[in-house]
Amino acid sequence: MKEKETILIIDDETQIQRLLEITLSASGYKIIHAQNGQDGLVAAATNNPSLILLDLGLPDIDGQNLLIKLRDWFKNPIIVLSVRNTEIEIIKALDNGANDYLTKPFRTGELLARIRVVLRANSIIDNDSTLSFGDLCIDLLNHTVKLKNEIVKLTATEFSLLSLLAKNSGRVLTHQYILKEVWGYGYSEHSQYLRVFVAQLRKKIEENPSKPKLIITESGIGYRFGE
Amino acid sequence: MTNFQKIKYSFKSLINSNLGQYIISILIISITAFLCSPLANTNNYHVVSFILLFVVSFLSTFMGIRPVLLASTLSALAWNFFFIPPHLTFHIEKTEDILIFGLFFIIALLNGVLTTRVRRQEKIAIEREKRTNALFQLTKELSKTSGIIEVVDVSQKEIKKNFDVNPIIILQDGNEKLVLPESEKLKLINYETAQWSFSNTEKAGANTEHFATNNYTYFPLFGSKIKSGIIAINNYNKISGDKISFWDTFVVQISNALEREILIEMAQKVRFLDESDRLYKTLFNSISHELRIPVATIMGASDSIINSENSKEVQMALCNEIFTASLRLNRLIENLLNISRLESGYLSIRLDWHDINDLINKVLNELEYELKDYTIKVNIPDEMPLIKIDFGIMEQVLYNLIYNSSQYAPPGSIIQINTLFNNNKFIIEVLDNGPGFKEADLKNVFKKFFRADGSKTGGLGLGLSIVKGFVEAHNGNIIVKNNIEGGVKFALTIPSEIPEIENI
Repeated sequence: MKEKETILIIDDETQIQRLLEITLSASGYKIIHAQNGQDGLVAAATNNPSLILLDLGLPDIDGQNLLIKLRDWFKNPIIVLSVRNTEIEIIKALDNGANDYLTKPFRTGELLARIRVVLRANSIIDNDSTLSFGDLCIDLLNHTVKLKNEIVKLTATEFSLLSLLAKNSGRVLTHQYILKEVWGYGYSEHSQYLRVFVAQLRKKIEENPSKPKLIITESGIGYRFGE
Repeated sequence: MTNFQKIKYSFKSLINSNLGQYIISILIISITAFLCSPLANTNNYHVVSFILLFVVSFLSTFMGIRPVLLASTLSALAWNFFFIPPHLTFHIEKTEDILIFGLFFIIALLNGVLTTRVRRQEKIAIEREKRTNALFQLTKELSKTSGIIEVVDVSQKEIKKNFDVNPIIILQDGNEKLVLPESEKLKLINYETAQWSFSNTEKAGANTEHFATNNYTYFPLFGSKIKSGIIAINNYNKISGDKISFWDTFVVQISNALEREILIEMAQKVRFLDESDRLYKTLFNSISHELRIPVATIMGASDSIINSENSKEVQMALCNEIFTASLRLNRLIENLLNISRLESGYLSIRLDWHDINDLINKVLNELEYELKDYTIKVNIPDEMPLIKIDFGIMEQVLYNLIYNSSQYAPPGSIIQINTLFNNNKFIIEVLDNGPGFKEADLKNVFKKFFRADGSKTGGLGLGLSIVKGFVEAHNGNIIVKNNIEGGVKFALTIPSEIPEIENI
C-alpha cells in the first residue's frame, strides 16, 4: 500500500472534527486539524496535504476568502463542507476553486466517495489521451468514443461537452463554466442548450438515460462526471 | 373691479352697516315724498299713504328692524306734514284723517316689524338647515372613513370648512398620555393645558375658565367608553351664540367616530394576539415534541452502543435508529427553514431551464432510504420539453409530496409520479394507492400544522403547506383529491414555456 494520504480539516466545530477524524482515519487517511483560517493557511503550507476539507463559517476569516487565498498556490483538491446550502454560495465556492461542495449535514459514505473521486481525478495525468470509465472509453486524440467496444456517434458539440466533463471527472462543473467552455462567452445565459445536449448525450452513453450514472446533475449548480 | 361692481359693492356694504341702513331709510322716504309732491294739493292725498306704506314694506324686506321703524315713523310724519290738509303743519283737520293717520302709523309699524321678524325666522331656518347639512355631511364623511388617521383628517377638514378655525387633533398613546406628532404647527400647542383638558374631560385654554392665557382652546374628545384625545382650535371666539351648540355637536360626533375606530383597532389587536399566541403555542408544543423524540432515540441508542455488550446485529439496528432519527431531525430543520422563508417573504425564485428527469431522479435518490419498502413508478412522456423552474424549490416540493405519500400509504404501496406538458403548462402528479384522506380532511391538507389521523410518525404538519406556498411562488396551483380506485392524488400545475433552441 502506498503512503497514507494527508487530509487537512479546517473547521472550528470540534464535534465535526472528531467525527471526520474517526471516519477518515478508519479509511486510512492521515488527518491534520486547523481551528481557524490563519492556522489553516499555515498548516496547508507546512504539510502540503493531498486534500483540504474546508468549512466556510470560520471564526477569523470568511471561508470563501480563505479559498481564494489558498488557490493562489495550493494545487491539490479542496472540498468545501458547509451549512450554507444556497445555490449562489455553492456556485461561488466552485468558482473560487473548490473541487466539490457538500452541505452539512452530510452522509459520511457520500463524503468518502467524493474524497476518493477527487483524489483519483487529481492523479490522472493530463497528457493521457484516452479516458476510461467502466464500459465507456473516450479517445481524446482521435475524437472517438466507444461504449462496450462499439463506436458511439457524437456530434462535435456533444464530443466537446463529453470530453470536458470526462477530463474533470468527479468535479462539479457549473452551468456557466460548461457553456463558456463548449459554446463560448455569448452563450452563458442559454442553459437550455446545455440541458438538451446533456439529455442527448445521456441517451447515447448512459445505460438507463432516466437514471444517469455518468453525467450526474447537481441541482441548480451544474454537472459532475462520475462512474 | 369695474365701476358697476364698485357701486354694487359699496351699496352692499352700505346696506350691511347699521348707519347705512338709517341713511337709506331717510333717503328713500324723502325721495318718495318728493316724487309724490304733485299730489299734495289734490284730493288724492290718500293715495300717497298707500305708496308710502308700499315703500316701507319694501324696505322691511332687506333692512333691520330699527331702520324700518324709523322709516315707518318718518313716512307717517311726512304724510301728515306734507299731504294731509292743512299742509306743512302736523295739525289734522278732519276726524277721518286723524283716524287714517293713526291707522297708517300702526300699519306701517306692524308691517315693518312683521316682515323683519319673518326674515329673521327665515335666516335662522337657513342657518339651521346649513348646520344640519354640515352635521349630516360630517357623519356621512366619518362613516366612510376607516382607520383613526382618516377620521382625524376628515374631522379636521370639516371643522375648517364649517367654523373657519384651524383645528389640531391630538390623540392619546393608550396610557392616558397625549402624543404630540412631529409637526411645525404643533409648536403652538401648550402640552400641559392639552393634557389637563384631556385628563379632566373639560375644555380649557383661551376663552374658557381654565388656562385662559393660551392662544388655543382645547376640547376633550370622549365617547361613552374611552377618551381618545383632544381638539385644539385657535379662534374659539369666532364660535359664539347658538354656534356653540353646533360646535359641541360636532365635537361629539368626532369623539364617537374616533371611539369607534379605536375600539375596532383594539379588537383587531386582541384577535391578532390571540392568533399569534395560538400559533406560538402550537409551534412550541409540536417543535419540542418533534425535537425530543429523535433526540431521545439518538441518546438511547448511542448510550446502549457505548455501555452495553450487544451483538453485532443489535448494534447495527441501533445505529439504524440513530440514522433514522437524524434524518427526521434534518427534515424538521429543513421544513422550519422553508416555512420561515415563505412567511418572511424573502423567498426569491430563480427560474432556469431544467430537465424534469433530473428533478425526479434527484428527489428519488434523496428519499431512497424512506422509499425502500415502496414501489415507485415514474411516467415521463418522451416529448416532455425542458421546464422553467427554480430547481431547489421544486426539489423541496416533490420531496415533501413523495415523502408525504410514504407517510400515509403503508409499506408495499405503489407511489406513482406522472408528468405532462400541455398548453404551456406542466403538470406533476403524485399518486399513491394507500387509504386516502377523509373527505372532511381534504380541504385542510394544505393548512399549516394540520395533521390527518393515521399518519405514521411525527411531523409538524408543515410539509404540504410548504408545497402549496412554493408552487404558488411559481405562479402555479396544486390540488388534492382521493382517487376513485383508492389512494390520494396530488396534482400541481405550473406555467412554463417551450424553450427556443435553434441551430446549436
